[in-house]
Amino acid sequence: MKRFFLRNSSGYVFLTPWFIGFFCLALGPILASLYLSFNRYDMVADPRFVGFDNYIYMFTRDRRFWKSLEVTFTYVALAVPARLIMALTVAMVLDKGLRTISFYRAIFYLPSLLGASIAIAILWRQLFLADGVVNKVLATVGFTGPSWITDPKTSLYTLVVLAIWQFGAPMLIFLAGLRGIPRDLYEAAEIDGTPKWRQFTRITLPLLAPVIFFNLVLQTIDSFKVFSPAFIISNGTGAPSDSMLVYTVFLFNEAFKFFRMGYASALAWVLLVIIAFFTALAFLSSRYWVHYENERD
Amino acid sequence: MNATSPDLTREMEEAAAVAHQLRIAREKRARGMRLLKHVFLIFFSLIMIYPLLWLTSASFKPENEIFSTLNLWPSEIKWQNYTEGWEGLPISFTTFFTNSLIVTVLSVIGNLLSCSFAAYAFARLQFTGRNFFFGLMMMTLMIPYHVVLIPQYVLFLNLGWIDTYLPLIVPKFLASDAFFIFLMVQFFRQLPRELDEAAMIDGYSVYKIYWIIILPLSLPAMATAAIFSFIWVWEDFLPPLIYLNDIKAYTVPLALRLFLASDGTSAYGQMFAMSVLSLVPVVLFFVLFQKLIVRGIATSGMK
Amino acid sequence: MSKFTRRSVLAGMGVAAAATALPAMPALAADRSIRHFWWGNPERDKRTFAVIDVFQKHHPEIAVSGETVGWGDYWTKMATQTAGRNMADLVQMDYSLLFEYARRGALKTLDEHIGNGLDLSNFDKGPLSGGYVDGKLYALNIGSNSQVMPLNARLLEEAGVTADPIVWTWDDYADACEKITTKTGVKGSDDLSLTTECQEVWSRQNGRGFYNADGTLGFTVEDVTDYWNYWAKLREAGLLRSKDKTVILDAPFAEGGMIMGETAMSMFWSNQIVGLQALMKDPVAAGMVPHKAGGKPGQFIKPSMFMSLTRDAKDVEAAIMYMSDWVNDPEATAILGLERGIPANPNVRAALAADFTPPEKVSVAYFDSIQDKVGDLPLPAPKGHNEVRDAYMRIGTDVVLGNKAVAEAAEEFVQTGTDILERAK
Repeated sequence: MKRFFLRNSSGYVFLTPWFIGFFCLALGPILASLYLSFNRYDMVADPRFVGFDNYIYMFTRDRRFWKSLEVTFTYVALAVPARLIMALTVAMVLDKGLRTISFYRAIFYLPSLLGASIAIAILWRQLFLADGVVNKVLATVGFTGPSWITDPKTSLYTLVVLAIWQFGAPMLIFLAGLRGIPRDLYEAAEIDGTPKWRQFTRITLPLLAPVIFFNLVLQTIDSFKVFSPAFIISNGTGAPSDSMLVYTVFLFNEAFKFFRMGYASALAWVLLVIIAFFTALAFLSSRYWVHYENERD
Repeated sequence: MNATSPDLTREMEEAAAVAHQLRIAREKRARGMRLLKHVFLIFFSLIMIYPLLWLTSASFKPENEIFSTLNLWPSEIKWQNYTEGWEGLPISFTTFFTNSLIVTVLSVIGNLLSCSFAAYAFARLQFTGRNFFFGLMMMTLMIPYHVVLIPQYVLFLNLGWIDTYLPLIVPKFLASDAFFIFLMVQFFRQLPRELDEAAMIDGYSVYKIYWIIILPLSLPAMATAAIFSFIWVWEDFLPPLIYLNDIKAYTVPLALRLFLASDGTSAYGQMFAMSVLSLVPVVLFFVLFQKLIVRGIATSGMK
Repeated sequence: MSKFTRRSVLAGMGVAAAATALPAMPALAADRSIRHFWWGNPERDKRTFAVIDVFQKHHPEIAVSGETVGWGDYWTKMATQTAGRNMADLVQMDYSLLFEYARRGALKTLDEHIGNGLDLSNFDKGPLSGGYVDGKLYALNIGSNSQVMPLNARLLEEAGVTADPIVWTWDDYADACEKITTKTGVKGSDDLSLTTECQEVWSRQNGRGFYNADGTLGFTVEDVTDYWNYWAKLREAGLLRSKDKTVILDAPFAEGGMIMGETAMSMFWSNQIVGLQALMKDPVAAGMVPHKAGGKPGQFIKPSMFMSLTRDAKDVEAAIMYMSDWVNDPEATAILGLERGIPANPNVRAALAADFTPPEKVSVAYFDSIQDKVGDLPLPAPKGHNEVRDAYMRIGTDVVLGNKAVAEAAEEFVQTGTDILERAK
């Protein structure tokens, strides 16, 4: 019993900084945004309470809201798996004893360092316009590409390409995870003559599961909230024809360009519910495929 | 056996020859595979490094060439972009780099300490409400930052923190970034439970276990967190934009934007030159800290 | 937790952190202080900080904090500071957002300071009038500009375009496009289908504005249809910049067609000629937006930038003193030059004239030549203008890309614009 209290209290001690941060700095603004979502608020005059108007308008009358959902879901469905597979593949190639690993690791992280800077926006246009670098390369094999970045049918894919290409962060996390898998497990398997792909499914995947789970959850959350690449590349507009209008770009414009902070807050809470739903799904499913070392029997 | 039949000898010789050839073939194939792997990696690296080449080349170009040509090689090399860019704003970049370093280094320290605290509690300690608080923490990851911006601004304004670095740094010491907590939780949970139990029996307190067992054994995770933390704070834009007013307090990303104008006289060449320089601390930090992402001694030695 | 305890806990932490965090407070030697916030560019920032230094020299007792960010970030930060009731004492204001801020109560009127700290005795009346909202002065003009069609003089000469660009008509313009494209190989003009500023001039020539006096949409379906058809005809004839580049909205200035050598003519604001010339080798000339034969004057002269006093200003007297120096003090105005537009004080203009650079001369000569060819300044845009403009560009994109018929798109725009304005009320 005494030990229980000891353990209980030490948990709170370790959480103290987080408690202070959460209750003093984070919670207030979050609740304020929930309150504002029931107001009409132009940021200059005081907020005016309007009940559920913002939510009703969103679901019944705002076509751009639905469009932004469509764009965002497409983006998430394409970018998350592609980026994770890319990151895991490269991490595994790098993990398997190449002497030049730290060199390649740095190289592969470079695109992520550039983030969503102005340089990326200009570069992306130079790559993906009708007379851009990509089409010049394609022309050498006799293929005439469209103007990828300004054609509403293809522009979103250029964002997905950017996401795949900036796979540095999940790659690094996968690498750290792979480094945590004991070498001797593979050595034993090697002696038993277990084929490589089976080593992958029997050793790598299960032991990497917590890290895969982390990357899956975080990439999903981040992709639903994706802002900077779409904002920078479309000059803040989501153009052409709203094809790059991801949810948070829509939200940002509603808030700061059109002076509807109340409506934007309502949008934020709807997004939160959507993300929470998918995160909860991931957590529920994790019981079946993620097992932790310190919870083994 | 003192005599071997000639047939048998011949057969053995043939077999040996075949084996030899097979081995050579295998080695050839292996060498080929290795070569292929390197060729692939090098080709792949080119695609990866292209943006940096582009950025560097743009930083040496005359202003009108940046947009008008796809050629990576500038027609004339403009070093002035660097020399003039450094002093190209009303305040020198010496100040901006110093500011960024102060904010970033303090934030990294804050993040590592406070997030590992929280992560240790969530990953390895039992206490009432653990799942509830974990859920709350995850929620802070899900809300778009843009809608908490204004309430947070009002909060910091009331504290008298506007135009100081406090709104940028203090939250880092209060585990405000749930990403790092969750990341560390996942790694801490992978450490074998026997470690704590053994230490517990030896009379170690949970504080001591955290400090001398968990932290050192999670070096790869901590190094990863340090790298991300450094990069993200270094490149962070919106909070410094909102909280810093005085140009003397600006960080590098804010300063870089001052080169641009909506209506004409932008200085893209200088901006790109300073962007290249602003990558230097980040790359250095990355190279130094990635060395720490090594095979954990715990997991390989324990079994 | 009560507010009080929460604050004291935080304040305690703040002190602890402050010891290490080197707060960015400027060392204030003076006992009075004002903040001036503007959107800038490297050149403007340098000049503005120099003016602050001049002011400090004359008034060492008033510390001026200069705060600057770029145009896009400016409005985000401004909105946040407005919401937090922590606006700078003096802010730079744009004509398109003057109503948004003034009508919502974020700005203070200047009327009571005129002749009483704020010296406007030498000010031209025309430019001053742009700062009035509902009969009260909320914003001081710190530069004027007008629409302009910049022309690549070399290409126009090579192509043998002879029409006088100050009085030319839309037919002349189409003709010039034709000549330039066939004779020089460079496309005649940027495709201005998505440029609301040009559509506005077009509609004014038909006697309507962007908005009516009651804040409803002024453009009719017919205006928009005719305008889009005009450009569609030129586009189909291959006389305009490629449609891929046209549909990149709010693209960086430096990616413009004239700068990239893809076109010979475009449309900007007149104070941008200097910046444009800086990025081009060929000489830039200035023309008016083409006229409608027998139509009304379409262009107008408007304040390019304002300075406004905000509701959060603390030391109003000091702020007004700074504002007055800004438009009168010969030392300050000499530093500012034409960078923000043409000054409204004739004495200032006369003093500057001696040192004009060649592109500045082009800009001023253009400005003088259009004085009797422009119409009245329209009212500042109503609430919702940003969104109407976005809708115009979005729907216009479908037209340029050939995904929608012109008539159908024009109708959709007018409907959408009307709805937006209704919702923003």
